[in-house]
Amino acid sequence: MDCKKVNRMLQDEIDGRLPPSDAAEVRRHVESCGSCAAEAAAYRRVGEMLRLWTTSRAGEKAPQLDSLWTRVRAGIEERKQPSEPASWVRRWLWLPAGAALAVLVLLFYPSDVSRAPFHPSSFEVAVEDLESDTATVALVDKGDDLPRVIWIIENDKT
Amino acid sequence: MNEKEKPGTPDEALIRAALGGEEEAFRELMERYKNRAFHVALGITGDPDDALDVVQEAFVKAYYNLKEFRFGANFYTWFYRLLVNQAIDRWRKSSRSQTVPLDEKWLSEEVSPPESVMYPRTPEDLAQNRQLSGALTRAIADLSEYHRAVILLREVDGLAYEEIAEVLHCSVGTVMSRLHYARAKLKEALKGFREG
Repeated sequence: MDCKKVNRMLQDEIDGRLPPSDAAEVRRHVESCGSCAAEAAAYRRVGEMLRLWTTSRAGEKAPQLDSLWTRVRAGIEERKQPSEPASWVRRWLWLPAGAALAVLVLLFYPSDVSRAPFHPSSFEVAVEDLESDTATVALVDKGDDLPRVIWIIENDKT
Repeated sequence: MNEKEKPGTPDEALIRAALGGEEEAFRELMERYKNRAFHVALGITGDPDDALDVVQEAFVKAYYNLKEFRFGANFYTWFYRLLVNQAIDRWRKSSRSQTVPLDEKWLSEEVSPPESVMYPRTPEDLAQNRQLSGALTRAIADLSEYHRAVILLREVDGLAYEEIAEVLHCSVGTVMSRLHYARAKLKEALKGFREG
């Protein structure tokens, strides 16, 4: 086996991936060839240095690693969110908001439909809001005349 | 018991206990793998604080995904998949946010000839040896995240090619080519330093 071929097989030999006969041949060559022995040592040193590097750097965080469970435990707790309402509940949440709006409109809307259209001389607008998970309702003209719903904003929160 | 497991209660027994609600069992699993996990996360992210966050997040994820673990498989391979993905994500975010990917204090500014530096024998020696540690840190940073993951899982954690392939969701051939490339690159980076 020549140096070129041995060099191609060195990493496989280090990782124990060669068939026993090839591995033995590579080892025999390395024992008798200075440059291939240096190459093999250089490959092995990569692993040694990486292990020293990670161990050395891990030492910086030894106290934090010792108390890692506290952090993990906190992370576990943090993810334990209160259970969300079922999807069907969320789907029908607009109902109470809608009902409240309807009641409000009925309460303030004049029953006399034959009266002249409302043209207020000045606006005294107050904003009231009813907020639910599904909508926000904003009102109201509270001038001298009858209070009226003048604007409704639906946020479509669902 | 798998050869990667430490003596004591087998991983699978701990997993079953954890699934049954025994938090202490999960804690024992965590204690068993936290140091190795930290080494791998550190190698990929290059930053001890990031690595700590990654390990914490991976264990939290493992806790909530434990029900998806297939009995008969290795816990550490399953867990390492979560860990490596988490570490790679973290590293990519760090790169995007333009932070220094590998801690600068380990990158030496000195440019004296490497021939004057010997290979260290202990982690403490390496920490003192700013030139070599700087060269190593830079060489690791220059590798892609996948090359880093492969060489760390092999050289630091001692995983077999097949296990690495499982962790990284790739073929054994890909593992081999990435490993050979990464090892050759690091070998070049260490060239010039001499035996102590």
